[in-house]
Amino acid sequence: MPDPKPTPGRPHGALRDYSLVAGVMVLVTVAGSYAPLSYHALGYVYLLAIIALSLSIGRWPALAAAVAGAMAWDFFFVPPKLSFAGIHFDEGLLLTTYFAVALIGSQLSALRAELYRAGLLAESERMHQTLLDSVSHEMMTPLAVFRSAIEQLETHDAEKRNRVVVELQIATDRLDRLVGNLLSQNRLESGVLRPRMDWCECHEVVASARRAVGSRIGDHALEIEIPSDMPIFRADAALLEQAIAQLLANAALHTPPESKIRVSAAVKAKPKQIHIVVTDTGPGVPVEIREAIFEKFTRGPLARKGGLGLGLSIVRGFMRAQGGEVSVDTAPGGGARFTLSLPNDEQAPVPVG
Amino acid sequence: MKKEPKSNILVVDDEEQIRRLLRYALEEAGYEVREAESGRVALGEVALQAPDLVVLDLGLPDTHGTEVLRALRVICPVPVLILSVQDNETGKIAALDAGADDYLTKPFSGGELLARMRALLRRVGTAAAPGNNFQFGPIQVDLEQRRVLRNGQPVKLTAQEFKVLRMFIMNRDKLLTHQHILNEIWGPHARENTNYLRYYMMQIRKKLGDEVDSAGHFQTETSVGYRFVSKPQPAA
Repeated sequence: MPDPKPTPGRPHGALRDYSLVAGVMVLVTVAGSYAPLSYHALGYVYLLAIIALSLSIGRWPALAAAVAGAMAWDFFFVPPKLSFAGIHFDEGLLLTTYFAVALIGSQLSALRAELYRAGLLAESERMHQTLLDSVSHEMMTPLAVFRSAIEQLETHDAEKRNRVVVELQIATDRLDRLVGNLLSQNRLESGVLRPRMDWCECHEVVASARRAVGSRIGDHALEIEIPSDMPIFRADAALLEQAIAQLLANAALHTPPESKIRVSAAVKAKPKQIHIVVTDTGPGVPVEIREAIFEKFTRGPLARKGGLGLGLSIVRGFMRAQGGEVSVDTAPGGGARFTLSLPNDEQAPVPVG
Repeated sequence: MKKEPKSNILVVDDEEQIRRLLRYALEEAGYEVREAESGRVALGEVALQAPDLVVLDLGLPDTHGTEVLRALRVICPVPVLILSVQDNETGKIAALDAGADDYLTKPFSGGELLARMRALLRRVGTAAAPGNNFQFGPIQVDLEQRRVLRNGQPVKLTAQEFKVLRMFIMNRDKLLTHQHILNEIWGPHARENTNYLRYYMMQIRKKLGDEVDSAGHFQTETSVGYRFVSKPQPAA
């Protein structure tokens, strides 16, 4: 047997490659013994099989294919049959071709794998650069505001000072959110996120989310509709709160001022789920990007400039960490409707007294 | 604030700039401020200077804030306000269980810090004599007679609901963890039964007509616990 050292870049493919070689060779041999072909023609069938194999496997399996093909052809088909004798110049030339083809073919296959990896690497480097560019842009903007605002604070015009302080406030909130989002995304990707599932009460979670959104809700009218018999349910309250807060902030950002934002909750019977729904009256989310907007660094076509496109990917990460999901469709009035769903298999025992 | 003798505040944080800015804000509000940059220094300050309140950062370089708290609690019962980073609910709960009175998540606003500090200092002044009657908003509670009136109309609370309400009143302006409340009312075996607590909070809020938002008296601290405030301040 040749050295079964795996070809670089295909560490787990060696065994598979050898099995493939054995399978194809047995197949050609069996089929050849029934086919009305001359042994010369069969020699070329073996050659074709070796070419096809070598283009998709490593060097050593390809050479093994050449050896196996040569031996099978000579033993079973070259007269005298069932013996290794009978190799003359013609047959010898063909057998040499087997080995040359095996080497060339497997070399091509290795080259192709190399090119593929290089392509992936370039793509990942490009992603990395894009991320770095947008993170530094997002960080430098508030820093530039700080620097400029501090200079302008030296003015004696009280009204101007107040305006500058408002700008400082906005820049601080922006930097705060950016760092928060990057930390959340990192928590999701590094796998350190351990949801603490506990009984949650819907009014409390929604009120906390509202508080977390703070002034970002702007002058939008927030309508909260939670049925009076809404049961308590299992969730990680902190993660769920952040998910709702993100949806509320998004809704406020992407809809006209003073438009209505609605948060409602419901219990679904099949499957047993809790739904928390955030509906706005904005332009909605086009059908073709409804899946894509939950990917990180993806932003909707109408999204304003700035931002990293992490918000919804964090919402999805937080919901999935709790065994739930987030989806979006269109509300009857035409706005975007985001639905957070959580499994509701457990009934909370109600205490007595 | 200026009329009373100045309260002494000990600020424990390893970041010099944070200490400086807290000093500006607190001195502006009429407090006297001392600083400590590590847990060791903080314990010395508490032992020697007996501050009226400690503002303690959980992420100290030498010892973990929770360890400082435990050591500090051996020395004296001074109120402690914890400063913690976001997404660290377990750290907050551990600190509260180790004897902290409340916490703020960084970055916080100066106004929020001052409001919490005032509440904790007020508590120290009044906790010794809660009195039999307690009033908040439209609610009047007679702790001895176990009677509750809402706008003068009697409210029917079950025995357990009253126990929970009484606990909040006795610990007003202090953040109580879920586990602490469950342990006190239902005993150690019920520490994990947060469903009890959610249910009772829902009932109490409903019966007392309390809002579930920042204007309400029973404030929710997500994943951590509840804080009863007699004078809620609506969010800015």
